[in-house]
Amino acid sequence: MKEGKVLVRFRLNGKPVETFTKPNDTLLNLLRRNLGITSVKRGCEVGECGACTVLLDGNPVVSCLILAPTVEGKEITTIEGISKEGELHPLQQAFIKAGAVQCGFCTPGMILTAKALLDKNPNPSLREIKEAIQGNLCRCTGYTKIIQAIQLASKEIKSSCISD
Amino acid sequence: METDPYKLLDKWLKTKKFNVIGRGMERTDALDKVLGRAKYVEDYFSDGMLFGSLVKSEQSHALIQHIDISGVEHLSDSCSVFTAEDIPGTNEVGYTIPDQPLLAAKKVRFHGEPIALVVAEDPDLAKEGTELVKIRYKPLKSVFDPLEAIDSKIRVHEEQGSNIVLKTHSSKGNIVEGFSKSDVLVKHTYRTHYQDHAYLETEGAVAFPASNGVRVIGSIQYPHLAQQITARVLGIGTDQVEVVQAVVGGAFGGKDDMGPLLCAQAALIAFKLGKPAMVTYSREDSMIAHCKRDPAVVEYKSGATRDGKLSAIEARIIFDSGAYANRGPFTLWRATMHASGPYEVPNARVEGYLVYTNKVFQGSFRGFGNPPVQFAVESQMDELAEKLGMDPLEFRLKNILRKGSRTLTNQLLEDSVGIGEALSKAKEKSNWKEKRTEYRKASGDKVKGIGVACGWHGISTSQGVPDWSNALIKIDREGKVAAYTGITEIGQGTHTGHVQVVSEVLGIPTDLIKIEGGTTAAPDTGATHASRGMSVGGIGLILAAEKLKQKMEKTAARLLACTSSQVRFGRGLVFSAKSPERSIRWNDLIEECYKEKIELSAEGYFGLPKGKFDGKKGQGFAYPTFSYIVNVAEVEVDLRTGMTKVLRIWPALASGKIINPVQVEGQVEGAIAQGLGYALMEEIALKDGVVLNPNFTDYLIPTTFDMPEIEKPIYVEDLFRYGPFGAKGVGEMSLIPTPSAISNAVYHATGSRIRELPATPEKLYWTIKSAAESRTKQRKEGTSP
Ligand code: FES
Ligand code: FES
Repeated sequence: MKEGKVLVRFRLNGKPVETFTKPNDTLLNLLRRNLGITSVKRGCEVGECGACTVLLDGNPVVSCLILAPTVEGKEITTIEGISKEGELHPLQQAFIKAGAVQCGFCTPGMILTAKALLDKNPNPSLREIKEAIQGNLCRCTGYTKIIQAIQLASKEIKSSCISD
Repeated sequence: METDPYKLLDKWLKTKKFNVIGRGMERTDALDKVLGRAKYVEDYFSDGMLFGSLVKSEQSHALIQHIDISGVEHLSDSCSVFTAEDIPGTNEVGYTIPDQPLLAAKKVRFHGEPIALVVAEDPDLAKEGTELVKIRYKPLKSVFDPLEAIDSKIRVHEEQGSNIVLKTHSSKGNIVEGFSKSDVLVKHTYRTHYQDHAYLETEGAVAFPASNGVRVIGSIQYPHLAQQITARVLGIGTDQVEVVQAVVGGAFGGKDDMGPLLCAQAALIAFKLGKPAMVTYSREDSMIAHCKRDPAVVEYKSGATRDGKLSAIEARIIFDSGAYANRGPFTLWRATMHASGPYEVPNARVEGYLVYTNKVFQGSFRGFGNPPVQFAVESQMDELAEKLGMDPLEFRLKNILRKGSRTLTNQLLEDSVGIGEALSKAKEKSNWKEKRTEYRKASGDKVKGIGVACGWHGISTSQGVPDWSNALIKIDREGKVAAYTGITEIGQGTHTGHVQVVSEVLGIPTDLIKIEGGTTAAPDTGATHASRGMSVGGIGLILAAEKLKQKMEKTAARLLACTSSQVRFGRGLVFSAKSPERSIRWNDLIEECYKEKIELSAEGYFGLPKGKFDGKKGQGFAYPTFSYIVNVAEVEVDLRTGMTKVLRIWPALASGKIINPVQVEGQVEGAIAQGLGYALMEEIALKDGVVLNPNFTDYLIPTTFDMPEIEKPIYVEDLFRYGPFGAKGVGEMSLIPTPSAISNAVYHATGSRIRELPATPEKLYWTIKSAAESRTKQRKEGTSP
């Protein structure tokens, strides 16, 4: 089992993980095959589509271009990690509400990229939204409703901050 | 008790007030998708599973002399290789013409054609194994250009007398007379190219050995077709193959063709080795080996009279079939019968040729044969208008199909023709008149333009192929409703629309209803293509739900102390029309029916009436109805770079009843994006039949910055008498006129016309430049005023 493999320890959605990986395996494969996190999607395996996006210490990265051993000691967030106590993240709610989901294959990556944006910039301009998700391809929606969903979530987050 | 399906459909057609029809209900699958729980094919990955990886041809046209697999056998004991010889049944997967193998046997006909599958317990190992399969070829001469292939001595299919797979034809009136009466004539050749579906999820299937055969989970659009093909390849009965769709990560037609092939590949491994097996294509495999939108050459001549009426058209359409016939006979037929555009034309002659070449084969793709020919039609319409000195939109209005018009094939349109109204409304909403005048006056490096294009699309299958709707609905003891349909959910939202249909008819909340779709456990409902999923697919659901109500009416009448005909269903209650305050709960009625031993399941079937078509003349009934679309596009072109930015699109749909406006908007926006990509950037680069850009770095699809503002669609609800509540299809529509609306706007902005897609910056730059040069030259020579 461990033959030719290396140990890697990191935090996945807030929980510590210890696992063995082939030294040349990608984070995408590690998450999908070894850890069963299938929400991380394979669209191209060469960093062109964004379907495999995860957050690495809060920043969106394409997991197909990251070698698994290099995440040692880091914090990885996937879509499973963004809803708290069964409560959907405002972005998840907004994606449903705005009709931003069609086939859904780009959705987890898209939401994670948007989350990283809103975490840093809760009030992004249209241009900033477009820029942030430019690397996440969607073949179904034409992006219109995805952008609307991010705007909706941004409003939602702002108003809940005020009411807190 | 009304049982006549026509009368039942008519009742719902005439209904004006609805509970859920017409509402933007949230998708039933959205929650799973935002949580990342939706299970796509590849998510069925498990330990102990086998993985198949594709060995593709490195030749465009060659005899296979020897396949050496010894390298793979040395790689690992657990590896094996499947070739044509390992197929227990028939190695034949052609859609209508039996010309295509699952794995090439003696000969390869395009670069990238599947030859073998390397199987291993580890996907990486399987992939590695593909490099070790050594194939000795005897190369043959290839033919790549469809025009050359028509007369070429090189035969893509050696056993056939010619590379022409099929000819189509439609003629009406007398074109010689028509052209001689014309005051203006326009004649040009248009070229369009391969378009890759570029669904984010590549092709895939996973198969499990079952007690009497196999069970397959696939990324598919038609479970029963996948079942048929898998059974044929394995040499077993269809009853030994069960096919279920996984959640599908985009399809757009491509998985109608590829789904069954992948199902058969995975099933072959599972069936022979007795273990679960998965086959998925890498992005590169997908872009090289999967079918694409048919490249086309359209030679088009049209004439009009001074009063702005089309007098004649003549068109020759050549579709490049690639190495296999696949859907070509149907896409070409559709293109031929739509070749007039949605306009009245008294004289016409259209000929189509489907031609084999040594390139990747064509397949279904949103718009299905229609986009190349509508690109030609709509470019011609603009040029005719210009020659007549008319506004292009007004010129279209003068010729547009209306109620009572006859189509190119002389089919009488008795009703459901809302495109004239859609066109007028799009004109108002886009401020057409002002912009047409204003933009002309602009100067500088960046120029704006506005253009219009129309499109039409026959609903249901082509060539008079029988079409039907079929559904089964069951109600369980708790009152929960399961509706079985073969129609698949491929991201377009149809299953959500189906829930709305059932909810409306049974008068119960949507959350009581579950669609069990895309499975061979459901009745064969035909494929989810031809814009028929919601429209044709929905009919069976209405009829099944009506039958169920009838089954329960007697019991309800007894409980409500009224007559059966007074029983009404609505808001989760059952009440009497006589005294609506008296009601019983849905669940109580169901419980009572169970007690009375009333079996609560029903099937709804409807054979779509189709008329006669005279194949010789290409005249007669082509489709039960047509959906219509208008797009007005506004663009800005940078004259220094040839870069086109699409600023805004105003879509107007005449697609019958809109069941769910939010999902329809999603279809409109997504289709516009694909049409925009097709028009401006998407291009498969081929050299000697080899795909040079099998990736998203070199094959560009639209990103956020490429997208225009898309206005809310205008809906003209021109009800279709057999559609559920009058619905027609929507999914394909907005793609069809997008390329020509953009190209017409570019012409308005620059005075340069692109007749070969895509209109990349480079191409447009040189077209603008050479147009400017020839204008200067003409001016110098004094040949132009
Ligand atoms: S799979 Fe990683 S970017 Fe496409
Ligand atoms: S919803 Fe299908 S790729 Fe985005």
